[in-house]
Formats: sequence, C-alpha cells, structure tokens
Amino acid sequence: MSYLDSPRLHFSGWFQADVSTINNDVRFFQNDSFVQEYQQLGQNGSWNPEGTGVFRLLDCSVTGGFLRGLRLTSTTEDPVIGMTIENAADRAPGKLVDLDPQQQMVSQIWGMQVRLISQAAQTIFQGEYAPAAFTNLWQKQQQGVRLDQQLAACYQSVVENVAWTDVHSSPLLRALKEATEDSVLSIEFNVFGYGRDSTIPRYTMGHVAGTIGPYKRREPKHFVRGRQMIAVAPNFTKPAGGVNSLQAKVSNDGQSLTVDFGNSFPILTADSGLMDIGHVLLGVLTTSPPAVLPAVDKTQFQLIGEVGYLADGWYTQTAGVETFDLTGNPTARQLLPTCPLVLLSPNEDGTFKVLIQESIGGLYVRADSFVFRIDPGETQRIEFHATQFGAPLANSVINLSATEGFMGGTGGGDTVSPPMRPTAPIPKIGTPKDAIEYNSSIKTNADGYAALEISASRTGPGTPRGYLSGQLYGIAYQLDTHPPGYVSNSLNYVSILAFSRKDPPKCPTWYGDIQRLFTQYGNLYPIMGRYVVDLGSYSSVVSRIKILRLAFSLPIGDANHMPVTRDLGAGDRATILAWLDTKGHDGLPLLGSPSESPAAASLAAIDEQAADSLVSLLPSQAAGKTAVILQLEQRGKIAPREERGEAK
Amino acid sequence: MIKLNRQIITGIRASQSGEDLHKYLMSAIMLEHSTIPPYLTAMFSLKQGTNQRIGQLIRTIVVEEMLHMTIASNILIAVGGHPEINTKGFVPNYPGPLPMGIVSDLTVGIEAFSIRLVKDIFMSIEQPEDEVLVHQLAQGAEPQFATIGEFYNAIQKQIEKLGQHIFVQPNAPPQVVASQWFPPGKLFPITGPASACRAIDIVKLEGEGTSSTPFQAPGDPAHFYKFQEIAAGRELTQTAGGFADDGPPILFDPSGVWPLRPNCKIADFQLGTQARTRIERFAYSYSSLLNALHQTFNGDPDKLDSAIGMMYDLRVQAAALIQTDVEDGSGMTVGPSFEFVDTQGGMQSGA
Repeated sequence: MSYLDSPRLHFSGWFQADVSTINNDVRFFQNDSFVQEYQQLGQNGSWNPEGTGVFRLLDCSVTGGFLRGLRLTSTTEDPVIGMTIENAADRAPGKLVDLDPQQQMVSQIWGMQVRLISQAAQTIFQGEYAPAAFTNLWQKQQQGVRLDQQLAACYQSVVENVAWTDVHSSPLLRALKEATEDSVLSIEFNVFGYGRDSTIPRYTMGHVAGTIGPYKRREPKHFVRGRQMIAVAPNFTKPAGGVNSLQAKVSNDGQSLTVDFGNSFPILTADSGLMDIGHVLLGVLTTSPPAVLPAVDKTQFQLIGEVGYLADGWYTQTAGVETFDLTGNPTARQLLPTCPLVLLSPNEDGTFKVLIQESIGGLYVRADSFVFRIDPGETQRIEFHATQFGAPLANSVINLSATEGFMGGTGGGDTVSPPMRPTAPIPKIGTPKDAIEYNSSIKTNADGYAALEISASRTGPGTPRGYLSGQLYGIAYQLDTHPPGYVSNSLNYVSILAFSRKDPPKCPTWYGDIQRLFTQYGNLYPIMGRYVVDLGSYSSVVSRIKILRLAFSLPIGDANHMPVTRDLGAGDRATILAWLDTKGHDGLPLLGSPSESPAAASLAAIDEQAADSLVSLLPSQAAGKTAVILQLEQRGKIAPREERGEAK
Repeated sequence: MIKLNRQIITGIRASQSGEDLHKYLMSAIMLEHSTIPPYLTAMFSLKQGTNQRIGQLIRTIVVEEMLHMTIASNILIAVGGHPEINTKGFVPNYPGPLPMGIVSDLTVGIEAFSIRLVKDIFMSIEQPEDEVLVHQLAQGAEPQFATIGEFYNAIQKQIEKLGQHIFVQPNAPPQVVASQWFPPGKLFPITGPASACRAIDIVKLEGEGTSSTPFQAPGDPAHFYKFQEIAAGRELTQTAGGFADDGPPILFDPSGVWPLRPNCKIADFQLGTQARTRIERFAYSYSSLLNALHQTFNGDPDKLDSAIGMMYDLRVQAAALIQTDVEDGSGMTVGPSFEFVDTQGGMQSGA
C-alpha cells in the first residue's frame, strides 16, 4: 500500500528551501583561489549565498481526502480537512542538501518531522520523514519572472515512527491508522513555482501539494510498485508529450485505478495553476505494442475516463491524485493486467495523440533509494523492485553498469567574476573505477525484489578531485528483458558519493588537519561565519567548542548535524571530534604550526570536456540546476531545447 | 530596578509547603526568561563585523540568563513543581512590564541596540539593590517596593525555614545538570535547602554582583556592570579607591546597528510579504525553543541539546529577518517577534 491507496489525505501550501548557493559551482571549493566577492548576492549567479539549508513546510493544510471510494473536500465531510501539516515544533527544521556540487539533481531532505495538527493546535500524529531525494525533475513552469526556478519535481518517502494521538473524530484518520503498518505512512509531494529572486515575496519559497496514505511493510518507500508511465524525453526537462512521467496503481480488487498526475501537467507561471492543455483522456491500450505509439484511433484503446484537471479546486484538493472507478468497465479490467495505460489528447481527425504511455511491455525496475554516501571499507545495499504491469517480476536479471548519469561538470557559467587565480579545473568523476565494487547483475526473487551490495574499497577513492574530497560514482540499471527501443526514465540511476579515507591522527592540529576543511566550509556557507563562528579562524572556532562538538557528533539524520551538507566522511568527522577533544596546555584544541598545512591535493583527473562546455549565464539565469542543465545540453548528454533564454 | 509588589514577599513568607512556593519559583523562571528576548534582539541587531565587543558582552549575559532560568527550573522541580514553559502566557507581551514587575514601573520592549536602551532599560532591569559606588550611578532603592534581591532572599529564607522535607519528591522528573554546557560549580542538582540557596546565590551574584564588588568573578562583572561598561564605553577596572570605568574602550559604532522597528508583531505585516513570512518563521522557531525547553524540564533533560541547537538556528534566521525592510517608507527593518505560535506560514490565510 502507498499514498495511491485508500484512505489518503491531500495537502497543499508552501515550502521553503533556503539552500545556500555558493556551492553550486564546484570551482568555489578550491580554497586557494576563493575571494570574498564570491559570497555576494548575485555574484556568478549565486542567488542565496546566506542560505541556511533549511527545508520546511509552510501554510500547509489538509485540503482533501479519499475514503471508501469517495472524495472528501470539506470539514463537514471529515474533520481532517482543514487541519495543518507542520514540521517539528521542538527542534530545528529539516534541511535540503545536494549530494555534491557535481550532483545537484538529487537534492535530499534530511531531518524533517511531519506533524498533523488539529484546528485546536493538538498534534494528531507526528513522525520522522525518511531522507529522500526528489525525482522526475522537469520544466513544469512555462514562463517565469527573473530567476524563477521553472523546474519542478516530486518527493516520495515514508514518515516513520508515527505516533498518533486522538483520531476518533475523523473517520479518515481512523481508517488510515488502521490500514497502515509498522507505524509508517507513505508520503508524496510535488514542489513547483519556486522563487530565486531576492526581491519577491516567493524568494526561497514555492508551492507544494502532496498526499499521505498507508504504508505496507516490504513495499518500496520511494516509489509505488504499480504502473509506471514514462515520458519520452531526449531532454528530461522537456517531455515530448508535454506531460511528465507518473505512476498509477490498480487497487487490489481490480475495481479502481488511482493515478498521480501531481507532477505531470504544466503550469504557465508560478501561481497560475494548471494550464489548459485540452481534454486529457486516460485509457488502456487493447494490445501491448513494442514501442511508444505516437497516436491511436478509438479501436486501439479502452477509455477509462477523462482527467478532471480543469475542475475548480481539483489540484488543490487532490494534489493531482485521481481515482477512476472500474466497476462498470469490465473491458478495462480485463485489459489492464496485460496492456499499457495511455494518456490521450483528442485530435481533430478523430484520432488521439498519445501524451504519455506506460513502460513498454509494462516492464519496470527501480532502485528504491538511489542516493548513497559510503565510507571506505563500508558495504551498503541498494534495493531494487522489478514489476510488469504492476505485478512483481520474479527471477529477472537486472544488469548494472557504471554511468556518469547527469553528474559531473559544474553548476556555474563560463566566466567567474572576479577571475579565479589560479583557475580551478573541473574534476572528472567516476575515477578511480575500483574504489566502488558491485556485481554486474543480480536476480529478483519471487516478489520481484533484489538487493545489490556495493562495497567501497578500504583505501577509498583517494582524492582524485584534488580540492574537493570524495568522489562520485553512478550505477545504471536495467532489466535484462528490456526490449530494444525500451524507453527508460533517464533520471533512474544510482548516485554514490564515496568519501575519502582519513585516519584520525592521535593529536590532530588546526593547521595539519582542520584548517583546510573548515576554511572551505567557511567560504561556501558564510551564514555560519558571519553569525555563529568564523570557520576560517582558529580563535573563533575554539570559542565555540561546545556547540561544534555537539553538531559534529550528531547522527546524519539529525536536523542539526554538521556539516549541514552531509558531505564529510566518517574519517574527517572523527578527526574533527578528536581535534576538539584533544586539548593542549592552554586548554584549547591544538593549533600546530603553519608548516603542517597540507598542500592542496592535485587533481588526478580533469574533465576537459566539461570545462570546454561551460555556457555563459544570462543575468536572468541562476547558477545551480539551470547551469547544470545548460551544460548537459552543451555536452550532448541531453537533447537541446528549442529556445534559449528566460525559459530555463 | 524592577519593582515588585510587596505582597509577593509576604506571600513567599507565608508559604507553608513546597507547593505553596511553586508559583513564586515559576515566576522566577518567567522573570529570568523574560530578559532573554530583549537582550537577544539587541545582540542580533548589531551588524556583522561591527560592535563586536558589545555583542560579546551581551552574549555572555544571555547565556547566564539561560543558566538562571535553568537553576530556577531545577529548584521548582526539586520541590515537586513542573515548569510550564510552552504556553502563550509564559512570554511577556512586549512592550510591557516584566513578570512580577509593577505595571507603572519599567516597560521593556523588543528593540535594536542603543546606548539609551542599555542605560534606560537593561541597566534598570539588572540594577542591584545595593549598587556599588561607581561614580556615574548612585541611586537608592525605593523601600515602598520589593526588589528582585528581596524576592530571592525571601525564597532562600523560606526554603531554609521549610527545610529538607519539601525536597523529598520521589516522582520528580530529572533535573537539568548539563555539564557539557555549564560548569558543575554553577549548575548542580538541587537536593535540599543548602544547594537551593547556593544556586540562588549564583543567580544573584551573576546578575547584581555583591555589595562589595561589581565583579562576580575576576575580570567578569555582573550583568548590571557589564551594561554599565557598554553605556560608559569603557571596561570596568579595579582602582585603589574602588572601581572605575577607565579600562580599555568599548567602541560603539551607531551605523553598525540594523534599524529594527521596535516591538514588531506578526499581525503588523501583510500576508504574502517577505516581512510576514520571515517574522512568522522566527516566532515559530522561538516557540520551538520553548517547547524544547519545556520537555527538557519535564522529564527529558537531554532535550537541552535540541534547545541549544535552536538558539543557533534563531541566530541565523534572525540574519535574514532583520535585513528585511518593513516597507512603510521608514527605512526600518523587521525586528523579531517572540509570540508563542503553533504554525508557520505567512503566504496565505488558512484553508
């Protein structure tokens, strides 16, 4: 079960993602050429240099629900409608974190608590949001004001350790509590309409609409084991049919189909609501073709229903999740186990344009979690689920191979102002290859499940990126049975940050072990240096030993974990703690001598092609994801979009 | 000096049990807390890189006020009470009198730093009963009112009078003894009249100094004298004849202060503005801090780490807030609000 099952509740409101932006350009990690001007607002497309990393839900209220086949939209139907979705009220807010400056396309939420609170401010349930990365990033917003983030994405995860209080007054909540297992809830939300212009009210904020439903143990946590409609998108930001990838699920009794359109339909501007893209029909093909069809006639599909996306309040009250009743449609029920879903737009000649189609042959495989951080000598498991038309795909081989995915390069432009001295090369990722090991294939069990063990070598990757520690690796995966011409979701690959090895010395010193690291954080995250502790200064750092001791010892899932960016390996963190704990005669951590300062590591591999593919950023364009996508186009990794300019 | 109604002292002296003392100890917690929002705001209003010594001095005072709040909470817990920290009534409605203060007396608001604020308000809050002779200031107490010193003296006396048995509280939640944050000589378990009185002595000493010296520790003046140093623009030194503010200068740069509009409240700002969303988020975070402290003093002392994390969180959140124009043409910026709230938003009204 998941948020696509019943009962479920829908919410909508705003979110804040107060991300810091100097780290959008990998070159600013090179301490030797960092100058303070890089910390200014607007410099080199840096639109929020004083970002705190905070991610939080704001003004979010329950706007709809679904219970026993009925849509609920008002408090009189169920008192849950109108309640508030909030974050923690007794600790720091959650954080939004890129995996790495060279992988900004899987930003994860960490340390967020989700609470439902009643109109009387009573907490009805609360639980911990399991860290999750967004997926299905695309350009949902067609027009924008200066610096608007026109990309949108969705997050799916679970809320764990859910504690309930009083649910008696709400039939929906009673049913939800009854249906879910292991004190876990399934949660999905869509984020869009995000503002990056510091002069507008929406600055660092955007719209959110989402759904919370039951969770069943052993089901994936970050996608629905159901039906996957995959956009044809040579450039993932611009799906060919104008509709982005989505997932759906046929109910266990086969009598209804629930589809999540929440991240699939375009909007014109941040606040415009959904664009009118004409009639949109949901159907099931009468055959299972070996390719994505451009168009069909009325004999080629069985209609399931029209998507009511233009109805007043539809998106707000459903978060784009719609259930279609199949009880009166035996043909569809008969076709669904073997034939793909299609979303259609009627043509004038009586045929229908296919906006998006279910995966070819109904085949699909997904890594549940797809973002990993791994320390030297550590082994982790990547969990895969394979399905065919939503049913488990047993005894199927999943092939694994190295990929760069959409990683590498940088999120900056072709010029840096003031110019870097010396210029920072752009590191190549994925090297050395042998720092990460895994099998080249695995086989699913009877449940369509398979786990891949990835092991980091004991020595780690070294410091192949020179001024930036650790290394990125990507793993591509596909079913052995994927037919030729199979359309994959190009965002489905695994991203791994392998940390460099660092053996904590017995007596670490500021100059020998800490300064380089802290200076880098101080450069990239000036909010800390300006208001809490100047990380580049020994005397400032040793005046805040207690709070640093606490923050660096907190587990990675804690909202106050340092570093906020969660990009420091266990060895480096142990070194910092050892340094804070090992006091000299003056009672302070050891200073050491400047002669102990390690020279900046040289880059083992430079990505010349990335450096040659840098694109100039227009004044209206921000560094970060916008620049990354421009560079991916320039490098031929994704198809170019037609226009170039504001609509990025 | 904060003037208290004499009836408070009478009430303490009439207390027959630990339970009778609860409301006075709760008032002590509220009083110690109530100075934190104005002091924090003054500290936050100092621009980054300027007025650093002033910022440091205020910070040490804020940290000690947190210690005093913790001490008062521990004493309340020790005599069977339950600190109620996370309620709307816990936070004073600034501007206004501090808890127990007489309404017509001192009015404390939430304002940007200024020498006037320090002289007129902060020094008044901390003014000792027996102020040591420092040449600029020589005022006497007004006997028709009680003072904070008398308040704490009365509590000490009554605790001693009631004796050890009021500390027999087998069901009391654990006290907060956080050696990672406060030295054990200052924060220790309250187990009886002796430790309670010793803890109150620390509160009095750090706030007011003693009748013979403004220093609570060598080189570390009590709060009143620290504020006096700031107002005088010089550090306090010991002289042959007493004490004088002729130490190293404490420079104040008036341009290094954000021009906060005094006493900002959430409702002052339109929905859908940066000012509104930022002040709401600040108030929510401050409320979260109070929630964390409430848990800390009601069975979960380890929650103090979260509370201290929230203090730093407030600091960085304040950075964006206090740079936000109030957009009324005055050129002033948004000051923090310490209203106790349950939700955060500010872009739209409720569903």
